Amino acid sequence: MKARNSWLLALAVAFILASVLVGSRREGAEFAGTDGQAMAAVATLNPDYQPWFDFIWEPPPEVASGLFALQAALGAGVLGYYLGFKRGQRQGQRKRPDAGD
Amino acid sequence: MHITEGFLPPLHAAAWTAVSLPFVAVSVYRVNRLMREKPEIKLLLAASGAFAFVISALKLPSITGSCSHATGTGLGAILFGPSVMALLGTIVLAFQTLLLAHGGITTLGANVFSMAIVGPWVAYAVLRGAQGLRAPLAFSVFLAAMLGDWATYLTTAGQLALAFPDPTSGIAGSFLKFASVFAPTQLPLAVIEGLLTVVIVNFLREYSSEELRNLRFLPKTLVSEARL
Repeated sequence: MKARNSWLLALAVAFILASVLVGSRREGAEFAGTDGQAMAAVATLNPDYQPWFDFIWEPPPEVASGLFALQAALGAGVLGYYLGFKRGQRQGQRKRPDAGD
Repeated sequence: MHITEGFLPPLHAAAWTAVSLPFVAVSVYRVNRLMREKPEIKLLLAASGAFAFVISALKLPSITGSCSHATGTGLGAILFGPSVMALLGTIVLAFQTLLLAHGGITTLGANVFSMAIVGPWVAYAVLRGAQGLRAPLAFSVFLAAMLGDWATYLTTAGQLALAFPDPTSGIAGSFLKFASVFAPTQLPLAVIEGLLTVVIVNFLREYSSEELRNLRFLPKTLVSEARL
């Protein structure tokens, strides 16, 4: 399992790195979000359309990056806690082979 | 796949909200019952939600020079069944809407439909189908997560096409236009989501076999092959 997962993770990282390298060689590559590009496509399809509702609250750009990091940190924290907990649990069981649980 | 606030006409926004609401209601009921009947899997449920949380926060670059994010809802759908993910996905989307101005309240229904309903159901169906064809487990999980991700983005393209048909080529033409905005970026990103989902499932089969055995929805193959 361990060896296989290491390979899979290495593959995923290689994929991301290759994407940045290949992507940034393109003309005009700014790594713009596709969500924004899709909304721009709306404007070309229907130039008269006006969004009829606006964000109630929009974080200032600097704060927004922090909140994005917070979302990732919360997710990674909980996930990491679970993975570490399960590994530790297994190791505890191995150390006490006579413990009947 | 986030349709920005106000970018669906009121009628469309209301319709998608109405479509998504029953799924989320069933999901709330399912999650509640799951936690009451099997409190021991709470932590795994939280971890699956956390996986979606972290993976949908990361804007990943793509070879096309644009960037987008994966959805992370395939893992939970595989483990707990698709209906549970409607609630977890809604929580993720609500967080992004309210705190990050990413998505929208008026478009929440449509975004929930694509990411928290269609994606998980497709992932689950693909896993079942691939296992029925006796495909290797890791490959089935990879395929399920990847196709669930694509399905989410195709659904978004469809929702936008319905709201904004092309003046000459109609809804079909508009769908192709939106799909071609998402596809080049999302095709490779979904591969990464597939790989990461397999990593987590591998780990769970090694270390969480007891919890996996407790899950009614789980395809038998996932558990019976698990080493103890």
